[in-house]
Amino acid sequence: MLHRRIYQFLIIFLLGVTLLFGVKYLFGLSDYVIPSPFDLKHTLGMVYKSYGMDVVSTLTVAIIGQVVSIFMALMVGILGRQTTWFGSFIKVAAYNVQAYPIVAIAPIIFILFGDGFFSRLLIAAMICYFPILLSVLGIMSEPVKEIEHFYRITGRMRWQLEVKIRAFENIGKLTTVISGSATLAMAGTIVAEFIAANAGIGYSIRIALYQSDLSKILVALFLIGITLAVYQGLLEVAGNLIRRGWTGGQ
Amino acid sequence: MAFTCENIVYRYPGASTEVFQGLSFRMAAPGFNALFGPSGVGKTSLAKIIVGEIDGFSGDVNAEGMTRLLYSYNMERLPDWSNVGKHLDRVAPASAGGRKDALIEAFGMANFLGLRFSQLSLGQQNRINLMRYLLQEFELLIMDESLANVDEKTRESIILNIKAMFPDRYFLYISHNVVEVSKYCREILVLRGSLKRPQTVSLTGIDIQNHQPLDKDRLEQTMLEIMNAS
Repeated sequence: MLHRRIYQFLIIFLLGVTLLFGVKYLFGLSDYVIPSPFDLKHTLGMVYKSYGMDVVSTLTVAIIGQVVSIFMALMVGILGRQTTWFGSFIKVAAYNVQAYPIVAIAPIIFILFGDGFFSRLLIAAMICYFPILLSVLGIMSEPVKEIEHFYRITGRMRWQLEVKIRAFENIGKLTTVISGSATLAMAGTIVAEFIAANAGIGYSIRIALYQSDLSKILVALFLIGITLAVYQGLLEVAGNLIRRGWTGGQ
Repeated sequence: MAFTCENIVYRYPGASTEVFQGLSFRMAAPGFNALFGPSGVGKTSLAKIIVGEIDGFSGDVNAEGMTRLLYSYNMERLPDWSNVGKHLDRVAPASAGGRKDALIEAFGMANFLGLRFSQLSLGQQNRINLMRYLLQEFELLIMDESLANVDEKTRESIILNIKAMFPDRYFLYISHNVVEVSKYCREILVLRGSLKRPQTVSLTGIDIQNHQPLDKDRLEQTMLEIMNAS
């Protein structure tokens, strides 16, 4: 699974770079617009260490943001699963707030909290929070009647058991959503860094953009992609292990 | 202790006609009783009205002296996070005592307790599901096709054992099997379509017990009465 993710990314990235070089040589574009393969190799050798550290910094923020958003989404999703006015209020609020592009709020966050770690973390968490919340709300508010009936009619149902049943029955969906939200967290962090932060790979891309250095941008994209592929692959492996452990290997 | 439904009127949400129009019946004594009728006549709805899972009906459901009314059906599942033996241990109240072992024996499930629910056959799944209901404290248990997919011989053994183990409880057995209903049930409530009057007809079954010989003429007679009434 992990290998497959990496292969898939490498194929897509190589196809993209090949297309770029195709355009370069087809239209006779200069190295200033699209760098030559040699330039790209040279830039990779120059910046891979510093960009690697930047990607690690971005990934760290993204992972913390993702963990925070998963935790919050689970809490709110569990509270919002109920058919009370409070549950309905949470659902309506979540559906409406998620419709608003969080990136548009990013400047306000930077103005209020500055361009440090917390702003990056907050934007990353907010960007991946709502999709997770909607999935958790959907899963948690859908009764598994054929399992829950016994516990209800015999008076054994507790909220913890209800949550456990619904999570267990939807463990595949939950792990898919969580591993998919890694991309959102990473994208959120990079966008935050690109807008105003002073660290991370998004910040390095912004500088490369000001220098019109496509080689650096391509190297950054490669490092982001490969790191994300490994991270998502690991999340999927962890999800499968949890699922197998819980269902007895079925 | 008696169980009575009086003048029940109920219409499914969005339907134009009532499924029950003044439905009344009474189960005077404990035992293995049946609710019989063609598909779609409202057997499951009536069961849910009795246990309080459906509201929005008029009329009275009077369960004198009964506080624990249970309803089991054949599509139920046990969560697959542990084996069925552990599930049974967890849901068996302390008062169940040796009843659990007796039920495991009677239901022929001793060799399957280490398996998870999804690893069982459909018949085994239904047996395990019914067993966990029988481990609870109850005065009335409605068994809605609870022994579906169980072979005839095992079903007979299970029903006769239930009757022997719980002589003082009320059972309402929902089944489409006219032979089974005639043979094992004491009181048979035949539920007819909403346009027929009366909407229910109460008949007496053979109520056969363990090791009791079967009177085949009486069985045929009862089956005929049921078919004529339905």
